[in-house]
Amino acid sequence: MGDMQKVFPINPVWEGQGTSRIPFWAYTDESLYKRELERFFYQGHWCYVGLEAEIPNPGDFKRTVIGERSVIMVRDADGGINVVENVCAHRGMQFCRERHGNRKEFVCPYHQWNYKLNGDLQGVPFRRGVKQDGKVNGGMPKEFKTEDHGLNKLKVAIRGGVVFASFDHNLPSLEEFLGPTILAYFDRLFNGRKLRILGYNRQRIPGNWKLMQENIKDPYHPGLLHTWFITYGLWRADNKSELKMDEHFRHAAMISTRGNAQARNEVTAGVTSFKETMEINDKRLLDIVPEPWWGGPTAVMMTLFPSVILQQQVNSVSTRHIQPNGTGSFDFVWTHFGFEDDTEEMTNRRLIQANLFGPAGFVSADDGEVIELSQQGFEQKPYHRALAELGGYECENTDHMVTETLIRGMYDYWRKVMGV
Amino acid sequence: MSQQWIASCSIDEIPVDDVIGVQVQGREIAFYRVGDDVFATDNICTHGHARLCDGFLEGHEIECPLHQGRFDIRNGKAMCEPLTEDIRSYPIRIEEGRVYIKLG
Repeated sequence: MGDMQKVFPINPVWEGQGTSRIPFWAYTDESLYKRELERFFYQGHWCYVGLEAEIPNPGDFKRTVIGERSVIMVRDADGGINVVENVCAHRGMQFCRERHGNRKEFVCPYHQWNYKLNGDLQGVPFRRGVKQDGKVNGGMPKEFKTEDHGLNKLKVAIRGGVVFASFDHNLPSLEEFLGPTILAYFDRLFNGRKLRILGYNRQRIPGNWKLMQENIKDPYHPGLLHTWFITYGLWRADNKSELKMDEHFRHAAMISTRGNAQARNEVTAGVTSFKETMEINDKRLLDIVPEPWWGGPTAVMMTLFPSVILQQQVNSVSTRHIQPNGTGSFDFVWTHFGFEDDTEEMTNRRLIQANLFGPAGFVSADDGEVIELSQQGFEQKPYHRALAELGGYECENTDHMVTETLIRGMYDYWRKVMGV
Repeated sequence: MSQQWIASCSIDEIPVDDVIGVQVQGREIAFYRVGDDVFATDNICTHGHARLCDGFLEGHEIECPLHQGRFDIRNGKAMCEPLTEDIRSYPIRIEEGRVYIKLG
């Protein structure tokens, strides 16, 4: 009994240098979570805020978050994009409540402090006081300068129509942040064509935010968890595939090329849920209409650390924004899009294929649920650890999917930055 | 009717280098006095809907008390941010100490 492990360890330590065994407390510890917000979301990392196509006209804005901090992405009168923090410089109120809209200026409703779209304070009520019976009462001290009381302005980077922002103004360029390998896949998807917004899914997943990154760094599960894939021959263990990371192992791309979906050989024959006789009614859900920009792969899933997943699954393209709110919960916002030059038929195809994704997607519904159940496992015994040893112990790029290398890579980076 | 000169306040009611608000035929008008000259504009700011008569007159510019936008009282021109819209100004005539205004 004396040797029994404490269920709730005090000052827990990650033993050894490896990352193939991840302590459960990495997903449950409150102070580590605050450190993650600080070091990943608020410093040194470009975080996703949205797509330019969401705010096409001057004055258009979208309210979103970076980590837990509410921000507003807004198109200025001159066409540029600003990102400002949604906290009034006066009494700290989150003054903007609408998700989308159009404004000439921002006004906090509490005391009507009034800001330009770039966050500069324009004026404050009763700055010079109020006249009454020949004298002036109150007002701001004469030293008060509007220039000192603007909204917090974030640094902004835009590439291919995708908008990133950072509270930290001293960070490397977006291109440097992504690194050449990931940047090439980013540019493959966002190659300069104008984007068209098709719609949104939003869901709150009761699990730690890192589990979503891990889910898209884990090619082990799709053929096993998502029986829907197997049933229709969409996912096969012998798909031609590659896993690639940036030099820090924080970002990754899972690249796969679906073979001939009609061929049923021994790879799928052994999977119990594969049903030879079942066919999907609307073939557009599954069949492939290759697009010239693919350059080969039929699916590339990019995980950009910490805030976003960029998806191309056949003809379905979307961004998935990770918005943590506590150790055991995050909001997951999907933006489905297409391209300006899509035919109506292609737009419909993208929309049909979007049925695989989102909170009730034929495929993604499973992911939300396993993340929730994983978190429940972690919380009942934080002293324990998860295993990520498929394919060995190292962090390396591979030309197959039978590995958890990307998860190990992410935790290699996580341990360095977190000092854990 | 509206093309006529309408009698409003007396010039003595407007303090020098200041502004007052007066109802003229149901409309809120701001009367300004700069030396012996009198000017009139609408009283409600085109931006935040505050009363300009609660604001501060600096030479020929009225500064709105709410967000410090400034109009030229001689022609109603919006002089700075956050204003995007001019304010309406009105012709004035003074006869025997009485201010007449043409609302047009």
